[in-house]
Amino acid sequence: MNFIIEILKATIPAGTPLLLGALGEIYVERSGILNLGVEGMMIMGAISAFGITTMTSNVWLGILTSAVVGGGMALVHAFNSITLKTNQTLSGLALTMLGLGLSGLIGKKYVGVPLPNKLHNFPIYGLKNIPFIGPILFDQDPLVYVSYALTFIFWFFLFNTRFGIELRSVGESPEVADSAGIDVSKIQYLAVFIGGVMAGLGGAYLSVVYAPAWIEGMTAGMGWIVLAITIFSLWRPERAIFGSYLFGGIRVLQYKLQPFGISPNLLNMLPFIFTILVLMLAAKEISRKRISAPSSLGIPYFREKLL
Amino acid sequence: MRSKFLVVLSLVLLFVLTVNTVNGVGAEKKLRVAFIYVGPIGDYGWSHAHEMARQSLIKKLPWVEFLPPAESVPEADVIRFIDRFVREEKADVIFTTSFGYMDATIEAGKKYPDKIFFHCSGYSRSKNVGTYFAELYQIYYLNGLMAGALTKTNKVGYVGAHPIPEVIRHINAFALGVQEVNPKATVDVRWLFSWYDPSKARMAAESLISDGCDVLAFTEDSPTVVTVGEEYTKKGKPVYTFGHYSPMQKYGPNSCVSGQLVHWEVIYRDILEKIRRKVYTNTNLENVDYWWLLKEKAVELGGEFGVPINPKFIPALKDKKITDPVFGKISVYDLVMKRLSQMKANPEKFDPFTGPIKDQTGKVRIEAGRRASHDELWNMDWFVSNVIAKIPK
Amino acid sequence: MLKRYKNIGLSFLVIFLGLFAIYLVSSVRPDIMFRSIALSAFGSIYGLTETLTKSIPLMLCGLGLSLSFRSSVWNIGAEGQLLMGAVGATWIALYIMPNAPKFLLIPAMFLVGAICGGMWALIPAVLKVKFNLNEIIVSLMLNYIAIEFVNYLVYGPWKSPYEWGFPYSTKFPESAQLPRILDTRVHYPTLILALILAVILYIILYRSKLGYEIRVIGDSIDAARYAGLDIHRVVFLVLLLGGGLAGLAGVGEVAGIHHRLRVASGISSGYGYTAVIVAWLGRLNPLLIVLVSFLFGGLLVGGDAIQVSLGLPGSTINFINGLILIFVLVQGFSKTRFSTIKRRGGK
Repeated sequence: MNFIIEILKATIPAGTPLLLGALGEIYVERSGILNLGVEGMMIMGAISAFGITTMTSNVWLGILTSAVVGGGMALVHAFNSITLKTNQTLSGLALTMLGLGLSGLIGKKYVGVPLPNKLHNFPIYGLKNIPFIGPILFDQDPLVYVSYALTFIFWFFLFNTRFGIELRSVGESPEVADSAGIDVSKIQYLAVFIGGVMAGLGGAYLSVVYAPAWIEGMTAGMGWIVLAITIFSLWRPERAIFGSYLFGGIRVLQYKLQPFGISPNLLNMLPFIFTILVLMLAAKEISRKRISAPSSLGIPYFREKLL
Repeated sequence: MRSKFLVVLSLVLLFVLTVNTVNGVGAEKKLRVAFIYVGPIGDYGWSHAHEMARQSLIKKLPWVEFLPPAESVPEADVIRFIDRFVREEKADVIFTTSFGYMDATIEAGKKYPDKIFFHCSGYSRSKNVGTYFAELYQIYYLNGLMAGALTKTNKVGYVGAHPIPEVIRHINAFALGVQEVNPKATVDVRWLFSWYDPSKARMAAESLISDGCDVLAFTEDSPTVVTVGEEYTKKGKPVYTFGHYSPMQKYGPNSCVSGQLVHWEVIYRDILEKIRRKVYTNTNLENVDYWWLLKEKAVELGGEFGVPINPKFIPALKDKKITDPVFGKISVYDLVMKRLSQMKANPEKFDPFTGPIKDQTGKVRIEAGRRASHDELWNMDWFVSNVIAKIPK
Repeated sequence: MLKRYKNIGLSFLVIFLGLFAIYLVSSVRPDIMFRSIALSAFGSIYGLTETLTKSIPLMLCGLGLSLSFRSSVWNIGAEGQLLMGAVGATWIALYIMPNAPKFLLIPAMFLVGAICGGMWALIPAVLKVKFNLNEIIVSLMLNYIAIEFVNYLVYGPWKSPYEWGFPYSTKFPESAQLPRILDTRVHYPTLILALILAVILYIILYRSKLGYEIRVIGDSIDAARYAGLDIHRVVFLVLLLGGGLAGLAGVGEVAGIHHRLRVASGISSGYGYTAVIVAWLGRLNPLLIVLVSFLFGGLLVGGDAIQVSLGLPGSTINFINGLILIFVLVQGFSKTRFSTIKRRGGK
């Protein structure tokens, strides 16, 4: 039993950067924009959080900066895909390259530097004594609790507020939304910005809470897994939480499975193989339930065409 | 456009020529020495240690011109860095400090027969390519003695970077130390497949701890494992650790017992002085292989320079008594100190890899009384009997 | 027309801001940086031969990618396809026919390498056609899987018994090593192969029925459906061919440069990703791609130079690559071929 608790307890921090990123990308895609630059925004979030924390010894300031930097990078993509209406796939790829390159450039002097201050675990009084669930869910660091709250907030706003309705209608049909008087590009800009903020936070979690260290290219494909989780969650925040912890759990399990003599290289493939399998499952579910991706996903909206 | 480019090109050439002639006016032509590192200088491990050595020699060897080093050089590209150092920077001596550079260094040796190359941690040599290594297995053995004495669960863990002979040898030496003090204890291993990755190291260390290990040693270029040990110790679940390569005791004053430290500058200084005195030339390096240990002062025991054992742990080590066939009843602390001084003064007297040593299948790998040869140590691809992990095959 | 100029202005602004960022972070002036890159890549015979060597894998991968991009199939998996090609070549050279004479062995390595790369690319094709999975994510995941697979081989079953336990395969027999020009590293058989293939692809693209289909599908899926084209067949073909070409690049790297299989990061330092930019900057035109890959080969060679002489980290080149991609994008190069406007209009 203790063994299971230990694994699950380690799973949550491993899945948290993915969850943060996926929540944001769900909003982005709900608005009809595809941002493949999650990896680039995450790694920029990671280095900016690490750099600022090192300079100021204030972890929360570092985390805040990562959100701003992630959001700022996302605006580049928003400008490309909403204002200039360029190809969204290429713009996202470019963002990833820019992020990986620039973070390496900035991060050169932070390699091997110890973080002066880190977030400590903060067990929640009372809740942590709930059997089984308590030590798993409520003996974590503060940013994990923030991620719980954000999941709820993202769910609530998407399905229960006017902003959520507008966001979804823009993603489904910008023409209809436009004729209903919704400012399509404003909503899209906002969604893409939120996506960047969340990806930045995900990166910050990696560098100032989880590792805590700066390593060049430390996101190591997580940004792409975030995109897969977004699809797996069928663009619903409450489902993203399961997808993210599933992947977190696989990462933790790798080290638990090593003693059974399976090659660590083969174990390292697991998250990536699993991504493909999960996408296949999601595809089945999508076709069975007749759910579809936001129907204008990745297609620029030209207002002129309406007039 | 084109003519502009030509003008720029000729200006640069002119500049390079003048600079070179001005340099040549001095009395003794300075030896131009280049270093190529596989990791970032700041990694607090392997490349960091080489860079510390290089920097400490800058003042001590005024007749050497140390070129700015190249860091984070991928294996696939090292030949171009060597080319660049030879052609553009006019290096006379080049140190390539990763085993992955071996083929390229040998190739470069053929391509530039009048230059001198030294490759760290490889086994291929030629007339102008020598090899060198500061070896830690004696230290790991001493760490193992302490680990065996300190474990209460009889489960000792090791976070290994890559399953290559060097790391396997170190795990074995560590396990032999554990075995000598505590025959019941086992050593478990997790592999990272990375030299530097704190988040992987954390997951591996936590995985070992959740399996019951309460003492950890490691090969990874960050103090992560020590930090993890300190966290657990502070939470009331003591986990003892051994620092690796750089002084790491400050990251875990309550957890870090001792560790392994390296003094590459000892080797670099010796090589460079011998090149200066023409003992080493571009024609006689075929058999120059540095394999320096405690005796040569290339390595040191401790988690901090000059502190072989964290004073916090000395009482516990003094309390733990074992019976040694030679020394009789002796405390582990005294045993460590005795072995340390033996290996420092005359390693012929004692070597951890002296038979009988059995592997995991019970097969005798080193017969009673025999000592492992240099080649056996270099080639090691088996674990000693008290290691319970497997080498990935 | 005015918009076009505005975009050109914007794209230069992007480059300017990017270079300014490099200057802020490292205090290296962009003109000094580019001079260093240009001099080391193109300023000497030696630099030129290294540039040429680096351009070979970029050319092959870029050519392969251009086919699928043309038909709006987003194959980002050239890196993995290259590695699988290297695996295929090693398998032939060390385990299947190590004693074969050179004139048989080398073609066999290229053939099997191409097949392995092509098969690896078929996985996203099948998943796209059968499950409607996004080929970008699948092909990317396959890159990571291929990297671990190569590492598994050299640490495990293919680890050489003669290399003291280090993660290397055994060295290829002499008959499996590609000849090079004098003492350079230019393995010219691969280069010649790449150039011939560029011409063939050009002919396929602009003079054949398949090329016509590829272009129609790329311009508008709806139009292609309306015209009754077999879209699935084209998706399969472009990925198979693209993967095959990337596989050839992998064969060239192990047979021409390393003469053995080694850990993945030792074989490719991201050629498959750089090739994405090469393909787009070459406007998905095979002949232009040949030229552009030579330029990017130079950029990679220059990347080392700025590390040694200016102390800039290797990732600087990634950043410059990203800048160039945005530059291309903002200028509107990509719109000419990948026209989503038409797609929408067709509805």
